[in-house]
Amino acid sequence: MPGVDARDNQESDTMPDFGEHVDDAIFSQILEMDENETDREFSAPLVFGFFEQAKETFEDMQRAAEEHNLDKLSSLGHFLKGSSATLGFNKIRDSCQVIQQYGHKLNVDGTSEPDEAVCLKKIEEALKTVRVDTADLEKIMRKFFHQPE
Amino acid sequence: MQGDSSHSSRAEPPSTAGGPASLASPDIGLIFDLAPVALLILTPGRRITRASSHLLAEWRVAAHSCVGQQLLSFVEKQLQPPRPDHLAHLTSAIDDAIAARAERTSRPINARHAVSWKARVVPVFNGDELLSVALEWHQGPPVHLEDELVQPGLSAHEAFQIFVQAVKDYAIFLLDTKGIVVTWNTGAELLKGYTRDDIVGKHFSVFYGQEDLDIKKPEMELEMCLRQGRVEDEGWRYRKDGSRFWANVTITAVYQNGVHVGFGKVTRDLTERKSAESRLIAAYEESERLKSDFLANMSHEIRTPMHGMLSACTLLLDTPLSPSQRDIVTIMDESGQVLLQVINDILDYSKLTSGSFTMHSDIVGITSIVTSVVRSAQAGLPPSVHFELFLSPDLPRSVQGDPLRYRQILQNIVSNAVKFTDKGTIRVCASVKEEDETSSTILTEVTDTGIGVPEHATSNLFMPFTQFDATTTKQYKGTGLGLSIAKSLAELMGGRIGYRPNPDRQGSVFWFTARFNKIKNMEQVKSTKEDDRVGWPLPDAHVESLVEELRMVSSTKSLLVVEDNLINQKVMLGMLRSIGFRNISLASNGIEAVRMVRGRPAAYDVVLMDVNMPIMDGHEATRHIRAGGILVPIVAMTAYALKGDRERCIEHGMNDYIAKPVNKQRLIMVLAKWLLRKTNYRKNFEERISELTRYEEVTAREMLGSDQPAKADADGAVPAVSGLGPGPVPVPPIKAAARAEEPGEAAGAVLPTALPAAEGPQKLMPQDDEVQQPHEEKADAPPSTPSLSGRASSDTRESASTTDASEVSEMGTEQPLVTVLPGSKGDATADVRELPQHPSPTGEHQILLLGGRDGEPQTGT
Repeated sequence: MPGVDARDNQESDTMPDFGEHVDDAIFSQILEMDENETDREFSAPLVFGFFEQAKETFEDMQRAAEEHNLDKLSSLGHFLKGSSATLGFNKIRDSCQVIQQYGHKLNVDGTSEPDEAVCLKKIEEALKTVRVDTADLEKIMRKFFHQPE
Repeated sequence: MQGDSSHSSRAEPPSTAGGPASLASPDIGLIFDLAPVALLILTPGRRITRASSHLLAEWRVAAHSCVGQQLLSFVEKQLQPPRPDHLAHLTSAIDDAIAARAERTSRPINARHAVSWKARVVPVFNGDELLSVALEWHQGPPVHLEDELVQPGLSAHEAFQIFVQAVKDYAIFLLDTKGIVVTWNTGAELLKGYTRDDIVGKHFSVFYGQEDLDIKKPEMELEMCLRQGRVEDEGWRYRKDGSRFWANVTITAVYQNGVHVGFGKVTRDLTERKSAESRLIAAYEESERLKSDFLANMSHEIRTPMHGMLSACTLLLDTPLSPSQRDIVTIMDESGQVLLQVINDILDYSKLTSGSFTMHSDIVGITSIVTSVVRSAQAGLPPSVHFELFLSPDLPRSVQGDPLRYRQILQNIVSNAVKFTDKGTIRVCASVKEEDETSSTILTEVTDTGIGVPEHATSNLFMPFTQFDATTTKQYKGTGLGLSIAKSLAELMGGRIGYRPNPDRQGSVFWFTARFNKIKNMEQVKSTKEDDRVGWPLPDAHVESLVEELRMVSSTKSLLVVEDNLINQKVMLGMLRSIGFRNISLASNGIEAVRMVRGRPAAYDVVLMDVNMPIMDGHEATRHIRAGGILVPIVAMTAYALKGDRERCIEHGMNDYIAKPVNKQRLIMVLAKWLLRKTNYRKNFEERISELTRYEEVTAREMLGSDQPAKADADGAVPAVSGLGPGPVPVPPIKAAARAEEPGEAAGAVLPTALPAAEGPQKLMPQDDEVQQPHEEKADAPPSTPSLSGRASSDTRESASTTDASEVSEMGTEQPLVTVLPGSKGDATADVRELPQHPSPTGEHQILLLGGRDGEPQTGT
């Protein structure tokens, strides 16, 4: 078992700045779990698995939005919020939070938003944003993991 | 009448005949008769020979009832009232007169018709020979009875008045019929401060305080006195100056000639006596307290070496011993346990009686305490006795009170039931008896089919030091303090305790109630001392040393991760593996988690539970797990650390909380707390305490280099209290395989030990809300996936699913809260020793934890 501590410094040294997309502390925890930094056997499949998951979820969200199924949207938002938060993908997480909130007919600040149309509109905006953000992040990650599309 | 008597007296031969002075011409007898004095003539033997007519007339007696009678018997009949001492006076006056050959006068004696008589006694001698005695009676007014007081020149009445007046220690005075004071003595003046002039003519209620006046006490006293003749009272009375004193008051109704004329009142000042009494009581209490302190102290002093001795016994039992040696050590161990119990009882009893017993305010999980007590008691049962456990569904999840004392009462009653029941069932029921806004009263009943309690013994059941079999061969051990302690404890908890015969058959029902506060808000929880279920902050241990410690025990620990999101599952797995854990099971929703945990109640050392999940969330899953009496530590994981999340988790029965995204250091701290710093939840409280003691011993011995290895739990778990001292704790090598060999152990897909290799791009889907099967997803992974993630885990899954299926039918989450536990401790323990790989021979009964499953034989039997 490789020592956790031994890699701490290396990781923090080598980890690039992902900007506002990524919570460095959280993401570095994930990278720490790789046994070596060249093949990144743990984190790489995890990150790209996440993008798979995200795209699937966006499709589901799109369908739910078309069906005006706010409950479903809220639950999908919560779902993706969980995994994006776990990986430290903050921008995606925040959009998912927006989707979850409006799915519950709540504004982001927690106040009630009874108008379903408003909620759907907000969700669609957030979905658009999150798709873009996810695509941007995926590019960054492919570069980081040396995995061309 | 007079004629008769004179005639008859004349018929008597004159006893004085032949005297020198018989010259008188009129008949001397006639002169005697007619003389206007009351005369009696007696023989030397004091028989009446003559009575003058005057006497007969005055005394209104017939001659025949007088003459010929013995003097004393005659006079006795005339006395009014009868006073034997008056007769004695008369006799001694006669004796004196005869001895002195001179006349004497007796004291007056009260006769009938309200007069008194005194006799002038004249002895008549002829030379030295007593011829006769003449008594000449003189009438007077009736004399006072207290003749002792009557001094020469002082009437009884005067003497009495002086006496009453002079008494200083008592206030003695008379009231008229209305309660107005009419006399006053010195005592009254001294005591009450009023002079005679002050008070005579006033109503006696001036002596009373306002409180007594308000309830009309003075009037009531007079009324009662009239009805009963007298009345006595103790209370405050007031002096003229307003000061008060503690008084004893006696009021007597006074009658004259049958007419009520007033009341006599005697008042004593008890202030002195009262303060003496309170000094006495204080001295008594002080000595009681000293005695209790002594007891408490001594009990403590005795207990410490007892624990050492018992620990040594347990260690000795773990060494290779010949059968006869083992027998002896077992006797030592058992006797020690009994002695320890006796000491504990005495300590509790002395604390209870001295009032120094304090109740703690903690969070109480009724269900977990009841199940844990049942579980531990179950260990000592013969196979012919079965436990039944009924937990009412309306039992509050947690309440506020003293969990240890609740447990102690229940433990006592349950262990009595175990002690006195040879076959049949012991049923433990807990339910809510009463409820109001702030409190719940919990009724706990223990019904057994044991020997029962003979009717004559029922009244003394809860008295200290009584055992109803005291007269027999003392078949059952104990101090006889247990139930009395339980009674005091129940009362301290605002409840009661009682007994009734088993209504169905031979046996007993012991019940008790205890009132607990409801937990209204989490502030309240925080303010109470945190108990086992609530985490406490770790000491400032360095994370790295914690990782080291965790790594050492990781191979023996089994974890369950409940998480619906595959990405999160993987990250969690990755973290746990990087710490060193290998036995990690996964569940992707609450229902699955409940099935897995309730199916294998002792399998997991920690459950990491996502809170927000589809199908069944973490809170509900936790409630179902706790409802099964399973105390496995559950750590909640929830996204965004909202304020109050932790409290909500704890309220739902979880032990701790970790925010998502999970920070690894925080995870390490939490795992270290629950895997290293907490005693094994599988043990009951006492076992955990003794385990602590023993483990310290083991650790110490290993550090001394003994080659005796610490005995591992039968299921491969070492006592979970390692790391009490600084630095890494030596842990003996453990057969990691043991766990996998347990029947049905694969439930919940134990993951392979090696780190998974890259699994390649995988189809990682958000699960549909209806069915969540992360393992199915995994099975879909490309077969080219290296390492064990594909093949091995699908194998495991197969066994898991079959086990799950069988368990689900038995262990559905909606099962009634009735659990039957077979008595299996004896067998299980034996089997554990012989077949360590199969610690669970009674696996099919593992609904709740059974003796053998917990591993390490605790009692050394």
